[in-house]
Amino acid sequence: MDALTRIETELRSRLGPAVQGLSSPQPGRLFVDVERRALRPAAKALIDLGARYMVGIGWDEIARNGTIGLAHTFAFDADHVAVVLRAAAPAGDPSFESITPDIPSAGWSEREYQDLLGLTFTGHPKPKRLVLADDWPAGVYPLRKEVPYNLEPPAAEDVAYRLDEAPPGTTVVPIGPFHLSLHEPEHFAVYVDGETIKGCDYRGFMTHRGIEKLCQTQVSYNEVPFVAERICGICGSVHACCYSQAVEAAAGLKISRRAEYIRTIMLEIERLHSHLLWLGIAGHLIGFDTVFMQAWRVREKVMWLAERITGNRKTYGMIVIGGVRRDITPEIRAGIEDVLAALEKEVLELKRAIIGDSAIHRRTKGVGYLSKEEAVRWSLVGPVARARGLRLDVRKDHPYAAYDDMAFDVPVADSGDVWGTLVVRVLEIFESISILRQALAGMPAGPLLIEAPEALPPLRHGLSMVEAPRGESVHYVITGEENRPERWRVRAPTYPNLQAVPQMLLDNQFADFPIILGQIDPCFSCTDRVAVIDAGSGRRRILGRTELEALSRGPEAGRSRS
Amino acid sequence: MWLASKIKQVLMVAKPGVVTLKYPFAPHPAPENYRGAPHWDHTKCVGCAGCANHCPARTILVRDLCQEIRVLLYDGARCTYCGRCAEVCPEKAITMTPRFEQATSDRNDITESLELFMLTCGRCGRCYDMEKTNAIDKLGLTGYRYDSLEARTVLRRATDTFQPKELDRTERYERPETTGD
Amino acid sequence: MSIAAVFVNVLVFLLLAPLFDGVLRKTTARVQTRQGPPIVQPYYDLFKLLGKERINSARNWAFKLAPPAAFASILAVVALIPFGGKVNALGGRVDAVTVIYLLTLGGVSVLLGALASRNTFAAIGASREMVTMVMIEPILAMTLILGAARSRSLGLGAAVFGAAGPGYGAAAAVMLVVYLLALQAFVAKQPFDIAEAEIEVLEGPFIEYSGPDYGLFRYAMMMKQMFYAWLFVAVFLPFLRTGHYLGDILTQLLGTLAVFILIAVVGSTNPRLRIDQAVKIYAVLILIALGAVGLAVAGV
Repeated sequence: MDALTRIETELRSRLGPAVQGLSSPQPGRLFVDVERRALRPAAKALIDLGARYMVGIGWDEIARNGTIGLAHTFAFDADHVAVVLRAAAPAGDPSFESITPDIPSAGWSEREYQDLLGLTFTGHPKPKRLVLADDWPAGVYPLRKEVPYNLEPPAAEDVAYRLDEAPPGTTVVPIGPFHLSLHEPEHFAVYVDGETIKGCDYRGFMTHRGIEKLCQTQVSYNEVPFVAERICGICGSVHACCYSQAVEAAAGLKISRRAEYIRTIMLEIERLHSHLLWLGIAGHLIGFDTVFMQAWRVREKVMWLAERITGNRKTYGMIVIGGVRRDITPEIRAGIEDVLAALEKEVLELKRAIIGDSAIHRRTKGVGYLSKEEAVRWSLVGPVARARGLRLDVRKDHPYAAYDDMAFDVPVADSGDVWGTLVVRVLEIFESISILRQALAGMPAGPLLIEAPEALPPLRHGLSMVEAPRGESVHYVITGEENRPERWRVRAPTYPNLQAVPQMLLDNQFADFPIILGQIDPCFSCTDRVAVIDAGSGRRRILGRTELEALSRGPEAGRSRS
Repeated sequence: MWLASKIKQVLMVAKPGVVTLKYPFAPHPAPENYRGAPHWDHTKCVGCAGCANHCPARTILVRDLCQEIRVLLYDGARCTYCGRCAEVCPEKAITMTPRFEQATSDRNDITESLELFMLTCGRCGRCYDMEKTNAIDKLGLTGYRYDSLEARTVLRRATDTFQPKELDRTERYERPETTGD
Repeated sequence: MSIAAVFVNVLVFLLLAPLFDGVLRKTTARVQTRQGPPIVQPYYDLFKLLGKERINSARNWAFKLAPPAAFASILAVVALIPFGGKVNALGGRVDAVTVIYLLTLGGVSVLLGALASRNTFAAIGASREMVTMVMIEPILAMTLILGAARSRSLGLGAAVFGAAGPGYGAAAAVMLVVYLLALQAFVAKQPFDIAEAEIEVLEGPFIEYSGPDYGLFRYAMMMKQMFYAWLFVAVFLPFLRTGHYLGDILTQLLGTLAVFILIAVVGSTNPRLRIDQAVKIYAVLILIALGAVGLAVAGV
């Protein structure tokens, strides 16, 4: 009995007639429509079957049939199957039973749609605002279609996020909104007792650019990849590729094998780049700037390569729906092979220099520990999961592009700490180099781009996963009628991993905060992409120094100067 | 273990020497096929507005000033240098130059504008390029942007479906007592 | 003449401390395969900082007082020391304990400023600074006591030059190793730049300081670094002494330069330790230092 039938029988036997429809339009994808009240039992059934929660997607269908849709996606990695659980609630009573008590990593997805679509989730353990700005008016849900993409409600100064109650005997250390170890504006309130971390509340989503809303209302299918690339400063090709795959899946478009090989090459170059970048950042975060500089010196070669291939130092502008834009010519191929040879030598040297350094061990071993069971419970992905003994890799579990032709290992460590993630990432660099060599050697001839049909069929659902350097990226596309997606949902790997960070921080030293957060290689802009227009951005206000001083000192302090 | 690593580290850093460049003081040319700032060749442009239609950043505007004059305005401030315009241009009038040092305090330094003289079509009354007689079918006039590059703003398009009472609500909305509850 | 030596001390330290900091930065850059800033960059930095507007962001006198106090105490230290191998007019009137007190005063000023600035990160930095001070000052003290014990005098010249003065004993050799290991902590560089760790606590005690106040702190830090590097040369490298005042100044400066390069190389090839890990190392160092003093008292 294959996995699809097994899941289908289990769902039908547990839920009976509540399962309204089942379809598998693409291989390895199962779309299940259930009644609203059956969503939580169905999710529970899938988790009991061994599924890993990926992400929730909500969409507005009020104009079409008066409902708001909600889907939860699950992956059966060992069976190479992804399941989409869809349900709908009437716009008048948009409430669902929360699945967060069963699946903690669904917490953010539900809070997100509570903010953006006005859904309510009964039984959610922490129904606080997640995505929207603190001064965003209640009752305006930006992802609903009647809200214009550039709505600018008036800004307010006197509202603030209410942090979680601090555990007794602790003081709050504000990490953020601007802090050296973050690189992007986010706010962690870390509750410390002396130097020991006793808890943490997170208020993020400060870098919303409204990308999803923008792409659902303004640009067309073929322009979205260029916007998608800019979700992240590092995984450009990942998001462009993942989006393109989702659209191709929804539209039933098959691209040429050569284009798939070139996509593979782009994705692996990106992984090389990202892992070397992370290694440097990790060195910087534990105060070892020489590792930082040396890793980035090696990384420079990868950027040089990207510049020759794509025309820019970042891997941008390469992947579009239907294929890729530029070819790998024989000259470029020779260049890549030269760089790979040099790179392999340099990375080996770097690895030898740091892998046995007990000073680094002292700062990374046993730090940020999370057990394998917790990692499963929080649906961790990528190197963070692999350092906790989970053999998860989309490239193996749900092959895309040309990864089915590649022979490679998935390095796994079981130490469950920062050191494990470092080892996994360093080993993956060598796997990437090997994959690149195989892809260059086995690249078939063929067209670069398959023209997409003039009009894509509307209201088809497509789900696509790509193994980004940081873990699994998920894109969900519902095709639309106006030559643009009706709904496009992006979930970057930081989204699930960040949710588990408070767990990893518990009982660690405050000095280890930067590296514990750093081990997931957090990309806040990826996580924050969601459809919100910053309420403040429309109104600019120049603050004088007095005001700034007063702001930073709190209201009780008056002005005085020396 | 520790000492061996330190020795390896010193060896590792000794080999490459100094790799950073004296960049702003010594030039660093971009490689071939680099995607720098786009440049319009006005002798080749037929005013089809294909670039404006395909620009993901919406930073190219094509407008008719009057019956005879069509204006193309490119605002580099919002450009992401993706090269989509050069790719779709049917006349190859756009080239991606190797220029990458685009930082400036004057927006006009990175803005390009063309004024194209167009002829009027005797049958439909629309204008077309006077130099290329077969250009009439290239006038992809659908999908002109509502953006106003002169005013440097993006005009609203979705407001026609937005309920005005929603906006009323946002002006005198009640702020949440406790956020998110 | 020995009054003039006081001024020579102060002038040489004031003028050259930023240069040595520049050497430190340039060497670090070379280890990191960078061009690095010009060697005179610290002068530019100080010049710029001292020329800025003064902001008392904490609005209390302690916050204003701390930087000049830190600067003054280190200035007093360098005025006293037997630089160039000769005890000067002021140094003859005080003993080794004065120097230790003055150095501690500098550390206390930093703490004062940190606590006065009412900032969470400054408070964390201050608590780390305090722990570091408590654990590291004894090593300095014992270095000087070692000399004092060997030459049976607490005089400054005796304490500094006594440790390795009449022949290099086992005690001095042990103390040399301890001092070298503690050097990074004395000058607050990796792996012991724990109090200022920019990634964790954003320069810790100095987070609220800017402009001239911060400039004074920086200047004091540079002079402190130069003092500790010089102290190593003066105490443990007696063979650099030529017997001439100017010759000694030159050899001591060259020795200091070498120590700075060592600091840079060690600092840039080590990650920062956590305070709990550092404390254990300090404790071991203190014990060994105690042993060395014991050896010296026993006359070994």
